[in-house]
Amino acid sequence: MRQRLPAIVSLLVVGGALAGLPFTLSGYHVGLAAQVGIFFVAVLGLNILTGYTGQISIGHGAFMAIGGYTTAVMSQDHHTNLVLTMLMAFAICFVVGLLVGLPALRLSGVYLALATFALAVSVPQLPLKWSKFLGGRDGVQTSKTVSHLWLYGAAWTASAILFVLAWLILRGRVGRAFRAVRDSEIAAVASGIELPVYKTLAFGISAAYAGVAGSLFVLATNGFAEPSEFGVVLSLQILVGAAVAGLGSLWGVLAGAAFVGLLPAVSSSVPVIGSDHGRDVVFGSAVVLVMLLLPDGFAGLFARVRRFARA
Amino acid sequence: MAVHRWKLGALLCAVLATAAVASTAAASHSSSTPGVSKKQIVIGGTFPFTGPASLYKTIPAAEQAYYAYVNARGGVFHRKIKDIALDDQYDPSQTVPQTQKLVEQDHVFAVVGSLGTAPILSTWGYLNQRKIPQVLVATGDAFWGNCVHHACDGSTKPWTLGWQPTYPGEAKIYAQYILANKASAKIGVIYQNDAYGKNYLAGLKTGLGSHANQIVDTESYNVGDSAQVIAAHIVALRAHGADTLAIFATPTPTIQSLVAKTLIGWNPLTFVNNVSANRLFELAAASNGADLDGIISTAYLASPTTQANLPGMKLAKSIIHKYAPALDQSLAEGDGNIIYGLAVGWTFVDGLQHAGKNLTRPGLMKALRTMNETKNPFVYPGMSVQTSKKRTFPMEQLKLEKWSGGKTGDWHAFGKIYNGIH
Amino acid sequence: MATLESFRPRLRDRAALGGVVPPVSLLLVAGAAGLLVGSLRSEVFAQLTVQGLALGAVYGGLALALVLVYRATHVVNFAQGELAMATTYVAYQLIHWGLSYWEAFFATLAIAFVLGLVLEVALVRPVQHRSVIAAVIVTVGLFILIDGVVNWIWGGDFKYMQSPFGTKVYSVGGVSIARLYPGMLGVVVISVLLVWALFRFTKLGLGMRAAALRPAESALVGVRVDWMLAIGWGLAAVLGAVAGLMAEPSQFVLEPTLMQPILVYAFAAAVLGGLDSPAGAVVGGLAIGVSLNLVVQYVPSISSELQAPFAFAVLVAVLLLKPSGLFGHREVRRV
Repeated sequence: MRQRLPAIVSLLVVGGALAGLPFTLSGYHVGLAAQVGIFFVAVLGLNILTGYTGQISIGHGAFMAIGGYTTAVMSQDHHTNLVLTMLMAFAICFVVGLLVGLPALRLSGVYLALATFALAVSVPQLPLKWSKFLGGRDGVQTSKTVSHLWLYGAAWTASAILFVLAWLILRGRVGRAFRAVRDSEIAAVASGIELPVYKTLAFGISAAYAGVAGSLFVLATNGFAEPSEFGVVLSLQILVGAAVAGLGSLWGVLAGAAFVGLLPAVSSSVPVIGSDHGRDVVFGSAVVLVMLLLPDGFAGLFARVRRFARA
Repeated sequence: MAVHRWKLGALLCAVLATAAVASTAAASHSSSTPGVSKKQIVIGGTFPFTGPASLYKTIPAAEQAYYAYVNARGGVFHRKIKDIALDDQYDPSQTVPQTQKLVEQDHVFAVVGSLGTAPILSTWGYLNQRKIPQVLVATGDAFWGNCVHHACDGSTKPWTLGWQPTYPGEAKIYAQYILANKASAKIGVIYQNDAYGKNYLAGLKTGLGSHANQIVDTESYNVGDSAQVIAAHIVALRAHGADTLAIFATPTPTIQSLVAKTLIGWNPLTFVNNVSANRLFELAAASNGADLDGIISTAYLASPTTQANLPGMKLAKSIIHKYAPALDQSLAEGDGNIIYGLAVGWTFVDGLQHAGKNLTRPGLMKALRTMNETKNPFVYPGMSVQTSKKRTFPMEQLKLEKWSGGKTGDWHAFGKIYNGIH
Repeated sequence: MATLESFRPRLRDRAALGGVVPPVSLLLVAGAAGLLVGSLRSEVFAQLTVQGLALGAVYGGLALALVLVYRATHVVNFAQGELAMATTYVAYQLIHWGLSYWEAFFATLAIAFVLGLVLEVALVRPVQHRSVIAAVIVTVGLFILIDGVVNWIWGGDFKYMQSPFGTKVYSVGGVSIARLYPGMLGVVVISVLLVWALFRFTKLGLGMRAAALRPAESALVGVRVDWMLAIGWGLAAVLGAVAGLMAEPSQFVLEPTLMQPILVYAFAAAVLGGLDSPAGAVVGGLAIGVSLNLVVQYVPSISSELQAPFAFAVLVAVLLLKPSGLFGHREVRRV
């Protein structure tokens, strides 16, 4: 129990801070904080796939698109309860993730990166093709819109639930299998782990998380779903978030989510360079610098700080 | 180990608390009408400064120049107008957060002049719910006038108002022209695959009536498509036997279409919609080889080149020279969007004056919905901006124009003024 | 004692056409014949083919840049397209300052070379051996950064460059063909041939091939492997710049998103031809360019919205059925 105490305490601190936050921030900033929660879910999901199972994906924006359109379409056409649409997004993306995971079995490294990139580019084109059903460029609007506070609560509640779920999955047999696959596929097979099962499972879980994030993402844009929201840049952002987060640490994922959720908004107020260009210049340089200076992301940085403090 | 997690936690809390204090301090506004104080009116809008429709970015610059001109002359009821123009890249997914920022962080009084059909569609629910004026939007879709009294998307949108003539109405004029001058035309249409493009296509079909079957092929492109895609569509239209081409597109695809048709040696009777009939865009097409003579469009603004001697155009020149000198050259070359921005600025200031000293959001809407502007110096001579309970489209007049003079040519208006366009 | 020359026979097949398998060459000949017959029968078909080949050459040029980088450092450079876009802006600026088009063209290539070299040394070398993900993310960061810098310096609005091929339209057997398209094709093909000759006939080229394919052994015979890899990046940037400069006249406008759709097709082209095969990249580019144009025109269910999904269906199919591509070599999977 004493071993667990610090972990529990840090969880409580984060939870407490998050619960208190909306009472101190303006509406706009609550919206930004909700944005961080949405990226938290997506980055957490990608971390399961990339960090724990060692498979890269530059296509998670595609799963977010599927989740987002699930919410928008169900709400517009059937007035489905928004929370229910999130669960549907989770389920649908889990299945789609498993299906995408099957061909991905045969790919690895650079090839997997390219194939998932293909997914990220292709999926947003589909609503344009089937515009009668999916709204085309004029988008799909949910029948209900939510306040920043609602969104904030939903995003961080989902984050908490999915964090616990990830913790439960990763600490057990499945998590051990994931790590074995990452460390050495040959060794994993030798020790009786069924490679196809665990690799596709990791894809499914990861995609399901992205689906929930996508659902929240659409609610964050007033319930308006439109193809360009889910462009390649979104996929890149999630990947950057996961890389910045590093491995196996709540703090890391939090830092990664804050990095991609806040930095563009914060850096758009950089003087001299000008707002919109400043955003890209600062964000791009930050990505490169973090990769060069923090090989293991923020998780690695925190670990180093702890070691340093202990010494 | 526990200690250090504690420390990190404490650090995080401290950072969050600081951020919280800073932001609440920044947000402490106290005024009955947001964005309006004794000395200032804060308005905002979203525009494509970058991205596929960035050729329109002179519009907000001209609007700001006009407000600067008004401010220098004392403002409106001693209030200076502050206009916050944000970049949304003509991308609805950017318009939504940028508009939220205007409303929730900058606390604007009204959203004025925001550009693009899809961007407006993505935000009008949000703004109407909050009863924030979304006025003089830079798009000519029929929605803005039609949804005032009867429901669109499940509710009326009384807080949204357009300005320019509607797209379907404009397309009907092209249909009339075709029926009168080339009755046997085989028409090919390239249009943008969204509400904007479909509005035009629908108007053309309505205008052609029983002759709608003379449209031999329609091709749609998507925003951001490359020139290759556009060129392939043009090839296809020709292959379907069209001898008349209607281009219902934003500037870049219009330029690409005009060049593409010339590159395959095709010379149909060509129509370009008003929003792309800016002399600068045609010159850009010409410099890439496009053959322009005889293409037809419509106008509702005075021309800074062919009508440079009108008092309004002289005023435009002096305002731009003083308050936005960076635009001097494009105005001299005939950038009609600058005139558009000035004209919209004129209407908004006119609306503020009619709304009175005690400025409220409902007051502004009432003023803008009962306009009678016969003196707007930037619109085409003889045209006026008017609204009433029954008339929900401010500008309902158009005149045909034709390009002549080749690579260094210009638009020349001809024929009568068409009234009651919608 | 081993010398650099002794590498030549062992490297030859990989650098050149790489022992094209008979079915593949048959396929290519059949495809070319099909295009010719179609072009003779229909004007529309001919125009789409010429246009497709010209754009395909641009895809191929960028794909070749990707392949050179991949061969040199085993990194897929997501910023390759943005780099090409940025160098096109450099050319625009030089022309604006008074250089003629072709002066600016060659000056830009020199600048691109230095830029590629510097990026490899400063940013890629430190992460190259860490992991695929780290290297990919550095190039992703570079993508965003270059985009921001170009927007900062030149703004996001459109610039116009005089087309280097003028606006002349030829009539070939009754079919109107703009000089632009054969011009684009010609410039890219000449550049590719020059790069090929450099690799094939010069000592520098031999050193680069050796450094890329057998780094340990070539270091033993005195090849400065680090420098060879950096030069590889420089050359890739040069080819990218050619692709960018030829893409600009085909889009009629210069804007910061110039190369983004093209990068997507270049990826497909590189995979189709084989990620480690230079010749494959060029052939893949031409094939993708032509087939996209024709498929969208003649297959009703694939409209222009589905161009990108179609290109990527091809990409994924190739990866699953023949991961080495049409011309590539089976990669030994290290697990």
